[in-house]
Amino acid sequence: MKKIAILHTGGTVSSYYDDKKGGVSTKYTAKDILNLYPEIKHIAKIESRLIQNMWSQDTRFSHYNLLAKEVEKEVKNGAEGVIITHGTDFMHYTSSALAFILENCPIPVIITGSQRSSDRGSSDAKLNLICACQFIVNSNYQGVGICMHESTNDDACLILHPTKTRKFHTSRRDAFKVVNGKPIARVTSQGNVGFIGKHNKSEDKKLKLKLFDDKLKIGIVKVHPNMFAEELLFYKNYDGLVIEAPGLGNLPTTKLDKETIEHEKILDTLKTLAKKMPVVLAPQTIFGRLNLHVYSNQPIYQEIGLLGNHSDMTSETTFLKLAWLLSNYKKDEIPKLITKNFRDEISPRTSLDYLDYVYS
Amino acid sequence: MENINYEKIGFKAGLEIHQQLDGKKLFCNCPVETNKKEKPDLIVKRKLRAVAGAEGEKDIAALYEEGKDKTFVYEFYHDCNCLVELDEEPINHINKYALEAALQISLLLKAKPVKKIKVMRKIVIDGSNVSGFQRTMLIAENGKIETSKGTIKIPTILLEEEAAKKISTNGKEVTYRLDRLGVPLLEIGTSADIKDPEHAKETAEKIGMILRSVDLTKRGIGTIRQDVNVSIKNSPRIEIKGFQDLKSIPKIVEYEVLRLQHDAPKEGEVRKAEPDLTSSFLRPLPGEARMYPETDHEEIIITNELLKKIKIPELLTEKTIKLENKFNLPSEIAEELIKNKINLENYTKDYKEVSPSLIAQTLITAPKEIRARFHFEPKLKEKDFRFVFENLNRQKIPKDSVIDILVDLAKGKTPNLDNFEKLSDKDLEREIEKIIIENKNAPFNALMGIAMSKLKGKTEAKKIADIIKKFI
Repeated sequence: MKKIAILHTGGTVSSYYDDKKGGVSTKYTAKDILNLYPEIKHIAKIESRLIQNMWSQDTRFSHYNLLAKEVEKEVKNGAEGVIITHGTDFMHYTSSALAFILENCPIPVIITGSQRSSDRGSSDAKLNLICACQFIVNSNYQGVGICMHESTNDDACLILHPTKTRKFHTSRRDAFKVVNGKPIARVTSQGNVGFIGKHNKSEDKKLKLKLFDDKLKIGIVKVHPNMFAEELLFYKNYDGLVIEAPGLGNLPTTKLDKETIEHEKILDTLKTLAKKMPVVLAPQTIFGRLNLHVYSNQPIYQEIGLLGNHSDMTSETTFLKLAWLLSNYKKDEIPKLITKNFRDEISPRTSLDYLDYVYS
Repeated sequence: MENINYEKIGFKAGLEIHQQLDGKKLFCNCPVETNKKEKPDLIVKRKLRAVAGAEGEKDIAALYEEGKDKTFVYEFYHDCNCLVELDEEPINHINKYALEAALQISLLLKAKPVKKIKVMRKIVIDGSNVSGFQRTMLIAENGKIETSKGTIKIPTILLEEEAAKKISTNGKEVTYRLDRLGVPLLEIGTSADIKDPEHAKETAEKIGMILRSVDLTKRGIGTIRQDVNVSIKNSPRIEIKGFQDLKSIPKIVEYEVLRLQHDAPKEGEVRKAEPDLTSSFLRPLPGEARMYPETDHEEIIITNELLKKIKIPELLTEKTIKLENKFNLPSEIAEELIKNKINLENYTKDYKEVSPSLIAQTLITAPKEIRARFHFEPKLKEKDFRFVFENLNRQKIPKDSVIDILVDLAKGKTPNLDNFEKLSDKDLEREIEKIIIENKNAPFNALMGIAMSKLKGKTEAKKIADIIKKFI
């Protein structure tokens, strides 16, 4: 039997009705969860530990480092796989962060959780946890992945790409979908594993941690109609900024008439910011790839140093990659590195069938 | 059958009545639909697990179901199901119309509404609730009704979610249809004060009448269900469900009492009422520890202002008696008018020359007569009846022509009123005289027959008879 370490971090999967607070709270201990789902003891040799009991929306960069160090501990202890139970709201940020930190990860590190709490008979937690175990036992995958429901049915889960996945629904159990890519694999509760995208052969790897600098301040700002320069200026003392730009990568920087005078100020502010810090664009549309060569307003963006041309990374992954690069590389290397592939976070091609794996 | 002395054998019985409410579902904006016949839009497969309740106990009935390791197959319809029924979205705010109807019924049953309503989850793991629990809430307490054999207490009135309808079982797969899931359902529980099987029926009838007095109460087959809880001295409690109609209650309860006298089980049981008036085992009686709070809805405060706004409707029995007296109607006709929510007064105001009892008879009895005599289901609209009343009012047609005109209208034909036009007394006498001359020496009955076939619809039979008698 393979040896799997389950690290619990809280979230809905470990939540239960709280009679003092009213509403569900993260209360289950590691032992409680194992007692709730005794089936997994028949799939693998399970060791289960509580790392912290928190909602994922409370995550800070330091938590990524803590979690990565715990994974490293398990790798050294001979675990053949790690499962992290996690809140779903920021699960895709954590998967991205861990994928960047855990360089040359020799074992599968599967993050899972649930959309409906474990105290309901219909919770999705059971299938998610079983499928995470089955995937580890029945594959030789190396690296980070997310394991969540494939559809609204309780029959199979998908293993989703750590840097290209996003939560798309507030409540559905199949809320997680890959953006600009395909799921890695499909797993059934009986342990049938089918790989969907390309799958590297396993090799000997020596884990190296490239941690986050938890002092960094990175912002994400969404471009919208009637925008003011001061919204951007707010970030002047930050270490980096991600801008969710509409379309192929457009910004309100064109002065057409007296109504649009503010747009000159916006362009000036972008210039100022880009001199002080990396400013990276990400697609507000979610799907598709940026291209800064299409419209007449765009050439100036690269001249003033805005980054992200040809990127199809989600804004969430762009945000974490920027923080991770700032934590581990020289600042002047970032314009080159931001669009370099480290963890398959950028798809080399845009395939027509990527959207087929979203909602049918 | 032997005569049972129910008091002597320690007979105890109480009712649990479930009544569906119309409108929207209890916790989402899906319309109430309970009778889907078409193919489902989607099939969803789920598993359920028994979970520990708030006190950490697993319910016996829940465990019983868990042992079966089933897959639940749900038939989903986009027009009356949403993510809430699929347990893919937290519930929305409670349907205030259903809550108001529940309060109306509570007040009619003389019960005291609670000050704070707390939505609870009742663990149900047979798959009939996708979430694995049924939401339920106590609305009012300590109600009562009067019966011929004394007061029956109604300790609790609950508002809950209707479960999904079971369609089939195939090995370990159980299929449910989701149209019904989430429909507001009132649960009215009586105390075990019922004296005998006949009394159980009377109590169910009385509560049914009170329920139907409220507008939002859903009508039709399957919209109300009565469960009877029975025990006798030294027997466990037996719950019998699935009565097809109230008339079967006395016999089924009586047979169950006989069974308990001769062969009482050790544990309580839930049994199904069978068409042959016996009952069959369904499952063990569920235990008590099966509730925990619904975390996705806040407490509902029932303020005095809200209660003041609740209008208490008139009971159907009161309405019927009023109508009966006002228009001097047979009680069955008055009852049918009230049951079908027909406002007789509107018609009597519009057609002052037509007697209210003729209007009432036409509305209630004519469709039945057409069904019996012409062997089809007449789909008559209000405008069809109004056409007839209008012509009666203007004395263009005799009242004997009503059925024939309605038959034409029901068949989608435009009735030719000339065929039915009322003959003047003079014309009538002339016509009949002609018939008598043509049929010399024919006896009265024969003349009557010939005259009726010729003059049918143009006058009343009694008039024809009178004229014939005058001439012969």
